[in-house]
Amino acid sequence: MSSERAHIRHLLFRAGFGPAWEDADALERMSLRDVQRRLFRDSEAPDPLPAPGGLGLPASLLAMTPEERQEAVRTQRLLIRGLNAAWLERMAASQGQLREKMTLFWHSHFACRLRHPALVLRQHNTLRQHALGSFADLLRAISKDPGMLQFLNSQQNTREQPNENFAREVMELFTLGRGHYTESDIREAARAFTGWGFDAQGEFVFRPRRHDYGEKTFRGRTGPFDGDDILDMLLEDPQTARFITRKLYRYFVHPEPAEAVVEEWAGQFYRSGYQIGELMETIFTSAHFYEARNLGARIKSPVEYLAGLMRLLNLRFGDAGSAFFVQRAMGQVLFDPPGVAGWPDGRAWIDGSALMLRLRLPLAMAYAAELDFQPKAEFAGDEDLSEAASREARRLNVRLDWTPILRQLGSVSPQRQLETAAAFCLQTPLPASVPSLLQIADPEQRYVRLLCTPEFQLC
Amino acid sequence: MPSRREFLKLSAFVSASALTPGFLRRLGPGQLPPGSKRLVIIQLSGGNDGLNTIVPFRDDRYYQARPALAIPAGEVLRISDELAFNPALAPLRELYDQGWMSILSQVGYPNPDRSHFRSMDIWHSASGSGEHWQTGWLGRYLDAACAAGAPAHTVLELDETLSLALRGEQISGLGLRDPQQLARSTRDPWIQALSRTEPQGPSELDFLYKTLTQTTASAEYLSSRLSVRGSAAEYPAQELGRKLKLIASLILSGAEPRVYYVSVPGFDTHVRQRGPHDRLLGQYAEAVAAFIRDLRQQGLLDDTLVLSFSEFGRRVAQNAGNGTDHGKANCLFLMGGKLRKPGLFNGLPDLRTLDDGDLAWQIDFRQIYASLLRDWLGADDEAVLRGRFGRLALV
Repeated sequence: MSSERAHIRHLLFRAGFGPAWEDADALERMSLRDVQRRLFRDSEAPDPLPAPGGLGLPASLLAMTPEERQEAVRTQRLLIRGLNAAWLERMAASQGQLREKMTLFWHSHFACRLRHPALVLRQHNTLRQHALGSFADLLRAISKDPGMLQFLNSQQNTREQPNENFAREVMELFTLGRGHYTESDIREAARAFTGWGFDAQGEFVFRPRRHDYGEKTFRGRTGPFDGDDILDMLLEDPQTARFITRKLYRYFVHPEPAEAVVEEWAGQFYRSGYQIGELMETIFTSAHFYEARNLGARIKSPVEYLAGLMRLLNLRFGDAGSAFFVQRAMGQVLFDPPGVAGWPDGRAWIDGSALMLRLRLPLAMAYAAELDFQPKAEFAGDEDLSEAASREARRLNVRLDWTPILRQLGSVSPQRQLETAAAFCLQTPLPASVPSLLQIADPEQRYVRLLCTPEFQLC
Repeated sequence: MPSRREFLKLSAFVSASALTPGFLRRLGPGQLPPGSKRLVIIQLSGGNDGLNTIVPFRDDRYYQARPALAIPAGEVLRISDELAFNPALAPLRELYDQGWMSILSQVGYPNPDRSHFRSMDIWHSASGSGEHWQTGWLGRYLDAACAAGAPAHTVLELDETLSLALRGEQISGLGLRDPQQLARSTRDPWIQALSRTEPQGPSELDFLYKTLTQTTASAEYLSSRLSVRGSAAEYPAQELGRKLKLIASLILSGAEPRVYYVSVPGFDTHVRQRGPHDRLLGQYAEAVAAFIRDLRQQGLLDDTLVLSFSEFGRRVAQNAGNGTDHGKANCLFLMGGKLRKPGLFNGLPDLRTLDDGDLAWQIDFRQIYASLLRDWLGADDEAVLRGRFGRLALV
């Protein structure tokens, strides 16, 4: 296979969720440059997720009876699951693959756990809108996003009782990274952010009476700073460009950054005024990105794996419960990051049982079988993961259309089928002994087995 | 000398493992040497209400704070003049009386977080409250043990989704529902064939194939140990009973895991707490009592230590729904035959000096981890915990 085909596949897996059979004929005729151009063109529109019915503004749970509250919480959880399934389907089906992938990256960067579906949707669409725009705009928008204001306690940050949660995380996780600020900078920044909050309509408000108008000394400068001033100063520091570029490198290029390349790209990112789209274009068109050491160097996260599998099986979930169950079994649920630091990456996704699940999931999905797996029930909201309740969810409700797959793979010899499929789906070649294991008469099953391999875990 | 039946089982395993590729260490039908220490951790998920578990029935403040939820002094299970259990803990009384139980009060950490997820992550990773670590304390213990050649199942969770506590830098512990069930999946011909494959490609691929081969070998190893010798004792039929019986069987068979991890959900009792909470405690107590009795009868109680904890306690005052909301410090139990200070380790909780309506922490949970790592498992506590926490005279 030509290296250009391998590079196209590398780009599709990293900038999106991998190839889809429906796209096979078009890809066959395209050069790497064509695919790069199409990738950016197809991701121009933010394409916000629509609001489902029943999505109200945050109602006060405090005014409810305990029974009403439990029911309201349950309804909210189901609405969030619906949003989850809708986004996962976007990842699998959308032409705007790069936008979906970038939104997933920012979801883990600005990770919030929110209970109210209206706040979840609003935050998601904010990330989506700025995903390829200016990081400066993204940072300012997300800092005033009601979900973020709630999750990192900005609502409780007042002149009398400053809450440092947002001030700490905005520096540690969102802009500078550890080691580039002091505890005193956190305290002073928290004072500057006092008065930020949101109203009953979920709109950002500045509450002057809660704001501390005094002088603050932040990273060597003194003045009556407010929250916007702090964000501006964080963006003025090239360390922010370096921190973000390094994280993007680790996610999109290789888990161990080549520091000289990071430095060069960070300089360009800073000078461009933090244009994310320009940076991503630099990355995806650089010779460095296509170096051999980067190909197949990444273990897919569960969501990347799942969206990619949906594309390669031409599969959609029939209900949000099944989509949720599979994510839960694999350990990554959209809109439910483990905490403000987002999801870990790479080998952290793999342990014995997780790998066993990945090696049998394609068969279970392709044949809508019962998934023999029991995710752990932990906190409130996990009642539906109990042994009995999840029996329903384990019977995966999926729809699968073999037509485009068989159009490409159905009419050729078994040997040719395996070569074609492996060249389309896998980032690393199969060991010499594996094709002999795939002497299975049924072409559909033969193909699905190819996805039940350690090789398929990599991109 | 092994019986013939035992011998055949072991040799069947050896011949299967002889097929594993040479790049892996062979997992022999090994047994831990007699006298090896095991740690069993029981996590009560959701925030167990410690004040309705070990009841401060002499303290008026408890009754004032919980007019509809406090357990009346006439109903508590009195252990001594000052100490009383929730009556649902009756099965644990014998353990306490025998000196097999230490109760630590007001265990927590500085700058406590009232979110389940955050607080559980802090307990799992052993990080400070403002830090975000993506490995767990038992995973890092495993990293060190693996550097010395120990297999992933050295830390074993009885659940298919692996907790953060068991995730290390280089390797993660093994999670399974039961070894037989895992072995059924690894015996699938497809998995068998893959696990005999020599990978070619990037180092992550090598890591995946190694994990696969080791999981296959661990599943065979653990299920072969189980069929050599299992526990014959009676356990309650619920999930914790099933898991503890499995652990007892593995311990009895001399199997290699040093740390076992189980969790019990349901302790997030915000509404009408009393009935459901008592039921949970009752099930917990019955299962733990059966486990301790079993180990005692097999002469293994001196080599086994049980730690049970929850991510936080609950607020001292009840809420309007006759339940309790998320609090801070909490009580924690250690159970085993070799406790240095059985009984109340540091007295009963202080309800006079509260931290914003919650119990304040007196013992940092990382002091307990440090003690268990060093004094029980013989590990380098400061390396695993990435810092020094004053050890306590626990074991």
